[in-house]
Amino acid sequence: MNFICNFPFFSILLSLFSGTVCSVLPAKAAKAVNRVVIIAVGLMSAVLLLYLLSTGESFIYWMGHFPAPWGNEIRAGVLEAGMALFFCIIMYLSMAGGAHKLPGEVVESKHNLYYILVNLLLSSLLALVYTNDMFTAYVFVEINTISACGLIMIRQVGRTIEAAVRYMIMSLLGSGLLLFGLCIMYDLTGHLLMSNIKESVAQLIAAGEYQIPLIVSVALMCIGLCIKSALFPFHAWLPDAYGYSTVSSAAILSSLVSKGYIFLLIKIIYRVIGFDIFNSTRIIDVLFVFGLMGMIFGSLSAIKENDIRRMIAFSSVAQIGYIYMGFGMGTQAGMVASVFHILSHAATKSLLFIAAIGLTDVSGGSRKFIDLTGAAYRNKWAGVAFTAGSLSMVGIPLFSGFISKLLFAQAAVQVEGKMLASLIVLGISTVLNAIYFMKTVIRIYTTAGESPYSGVTFRDMKAYAVTLLFFILLNVALGVSSQPVVNMIEQGLAMFA
Amino acid sequence: MYFILLSIFFPILAGLFLLIRFRTPLSGEKAGTDRKPLLVLTGIFLVITAVFAFAAPLTAREGFTLFYLTETLPIYFRIDSVGQLFSLLAVIVLLCAGFFSFSYMKHEERESRYYGFYLILFGVLNALCFAGNLITFYLFFELLTLSSMPLVLHNGSREAIMAGLKYLFYSLCGAYGALFGIYFLYQSCDTLTFTAGGVLKETAVTQHGGFLLLTAFVMLLGFGVKAGMFPMHAWLPTAHPVAPAPASAVLSAVIVKAGVLAVVRITGYIFGTGFLRGTWVQTVWMCLTLITVFMGSMLAYREPVLKKRLAYSTVSQLSYILFGLAVMNEASLVGSLFQVLAHGFVKAALFLCAGAIIYKTGKTRVEEMRGIGKEMPLTMWCWTIASLGLVGIPPTGGFVSKWYLALGSLKSGLPVLDVLGPIILLVSALLTAGYLLPLTIHGFFPGGDYDYSGLQKKEPRKLMTVPILILTSLPVVIGLFPDTIAGIILMAVKGR
Repeated sequence: MNFICNFPFFSILLSLFSGTVCSVLPAKAAKAVNRVVIIAVGLMSAVLLLYLLSTGESFIYWMGHFPAPWGNEIRAGVLEAGMALFFCIIMYLSMAGGAHKLPGEVVESKHNLYYILVNLLLSSLLALVYTNDMFTAYVFVEINTISACGLIMIRQVGRTIEAAVRYMIMSLLGSGLLLFGLCIMYDLTGHLLMSNIKESVAQLIAAGEYQIPLIVSVALMCIGLCIKSALFPFHAWLPDAYGYSTVSSAAILSSLVSKGYIFLLIKIIYRVIGFDIFNSTRIIDVLFVFGLMGMIFGSLSAIKENDIRRMIAFSSVAQIGYIYMGFGMGTQAGMVASVFHILSHAATKSLLFIAAIGLTDVSGGSRKFIDLTGAAYRNKWAGVAFTAGSLSMVGIPLFSGFISKLLFAQAAVQVEGKMLASLIVLGISTVLNAIYFMKTVIRIYTTAGESPYSGVTFRDMKAYAVTLLFFILLNVALGVSSQPVVNMIEQGLAMFA
Repeated sequence: MYFILLSIFFPILAGLFLLIRFRTPLSGEKAGTDRKPLLVLTGIFLVITAVFAFAAPLTAREGFTLFYLTETLPIYFRIDSVGQLFSLLAVIVLLCAGFFSFSYMKHEERESRYYGFYLILFGVLNALCFAGNLITFYLFFELLTLSSMPLVLHNGSREAIMAGLKYLFYSLCGAYGALFGIYFLYQSCDTLTFTAGGVLKETAVTQHGGFLLLTAFVMLLGFGVKAGMFPMHAWLPTAHPVAPAPASAVLSAVIVKAGVLAVVRITGYIFGTGFLRGTWVQTVWMCLTLITVFMGSMLAYREPVLKKRLAYSTVSQLSYILFGLAVMNEASLVGSLFQVLAHGFVKAALFLCAGAIIYKTGKTRVEEMRGIGKEMPLTMWCWTIASLGLVGIPPTGGFVSKWYLALGSLKSGLPVLDVLGPIILLVSALLTAGYLLPLTIHGFFPGGDYDYSGLQKKEPRKLMTVPILILTSLPVVIGLFPDTIAGIILMAVKGR
């Protein structure tokens, strides 16, 4: 076994233990450790990705060299390594983009706690990506929830505590349902390892036994993860959680945490239940309908919003809807589109959150649109970045959003019954997106008389501006050369089966 | 190949350079007294771009792929005669209006933003004309909307912003309609490269021809938004008049033609006229254009604000072009493309005249303009000649285009519509005379009770009058040599 095969294991443990180490370090050192760990994990994932692309097949890693029923398994394929790499990039950029705000948002004494939480979050995300064992997945889902809650609550203002409590309740409901589903599945199949469950499920289906409990179990797991990833109508916790937490937390929560759960759901669909069996159930139709509703109602709520952060948060509801619509199509192409949209949305949404903070900073900290008038002139970099993010969200060609829309539409055209509905809702959602994003862009580029707030220049915010630049480049790169990424996703999904 | 790229990317980069170099002042202060460097630079950039755009068709005829958006979607450029025709119009109008703005924009704020986006727009328009496949075209069609929007909301008033948003949403809805079509075409065509006669697969036509017709209709409606076709025309009379006058000229004369070019491309080069001729799509489309022609003229006739009146007139005149495209025979296509040129020059000239009047007198409503011909005789003479061109009096280009349009319609052999078409075109021409010429009549002959004592010489500077003169003379020139122009257009139509 090649040494590189240890990398997934190293990544998880490195980020887990660095969290523990952070607790005894001063804030500055904790920050450095956090950055180094993210970079290290990113590099390892990149090397792993290259290795997997060269070998062309996935591998299974036994923790401590104990075989399956006793030991724990990790599995790495192209998609897992790619996701891990992408998560690291986004996480690094989000942390870098929000770093200058942290002293104002979090009390000095809690800074190292903040980095502990971020490291824990990273480790749980990596575990969700790599694990091949349902129970491990459940454990890390819980770790993820706890660290996410901490990240929301660490900025101690009234709204965040309320938001964190809400998030906690909804999330625990979600993980509870996931656990129920898991228990029933264990009861039916007698396994916790993904590959073993899949074999048993196939046998059960072939024999025609326990059909209803099986469906119930799958449905429970789906609903659990839907709640956790804020699919409409389970999105009530989202706007406050994203809207009032620290800016890095908001970027990370919206672009990574919900995506981790969605990725787990993809794994469950492919590796636990089996893609064809999952598609033969009615569950995909339910996901499809709620995805479409999310696309419309998320945008409608965003239009009504008068607070830029909450508006961006509501837009996430719509984007999550897109992803579930792709699941609901029940085809390989739909799944590819969804996975691409995970990447595209992560890159765009974190960009928007980071850019929005630049705009609100030069507007006296207010997030109301009326105060944001002309903000793009006061902070040019943030203005350009916000515009780029908005264009991507609306789906203008050359940005990543266009490619994901194109992929969704191409997938939709192949599905007889769902074609018209998806295309029409895609159209409505595009226009709704345009309404609130372009409205904001025009607002920030409108000069109306003397402004009471002063602007900032490049010298005042070098790190921030460079971060924004990288975010824009990431978006454009995904939009201009999407084919290699799509090929990788296809290869990765093929390895899942 | 390099000239195509230069004609697209040079102005875009130059525009970005202007946007960055000449900082927009933070608040409502005037852009400073020293406008010279900005104007000189803009002038140089405009001329260089025009040279590139002229040179591009002379150098390269074969297409090339810039890069691949996805494996099967190349960004591909190729120049053909139709593209060249539209590019010619765009270059001339943008140059004239650009130089006109140097003088006009003196009384507006935030000039650098205006010129920056003006140049970007230039590049995007070149790209549209030279786009070689549907996806490239769509890409720049979207960018056109985005880069022209700042011109609409230039003055930053609430009215302008609402107009800009209206423009944006109509355009995005339309573009999505077009995209919707592209999704399907993707399945039913081997390639989306523009090919004379269409690229539909035989099997696709026989299997789901009905659905393809629906797709074609949705795409026509979608791209038709940009060309102000009923029922999605409402943005045009709102958005065009609020822009500064030279920008309105560009919007009305050139940018809406992008919608026309789109319709030419999808009917002639993607679906193929053979597929659409004689179907319900053709009938419905013709009815829509005729409704637009009549309605636009009627609304213009009743409109008291000069620039709004011109915008309604654009709605009506554009549907002449679309009508010709809908008839889909040789004569009507020649008429349409002729009308593209004639209307482009005339409408630009009219808007610039209106701009000159606003700049010098501040008058915007038609009834205030009594005696204007005594104050600005040159401008009003240009207005009159241009008006005659729009009405279609020989020897102007407007006559030739309408002649061909009527001819094509009568030859088409479609029931009812073949005769109804020319009748509506005639009625609308009368209305056109009715809404344009009163300005001339009252301008030169204000009536017996008019007080001549308050009159002053108000003729604008050469920088304004020369572009107007050029744009006024061009429709007359093409009207004097209709055979040559029609010959060139015929070659374009035959898909050389």
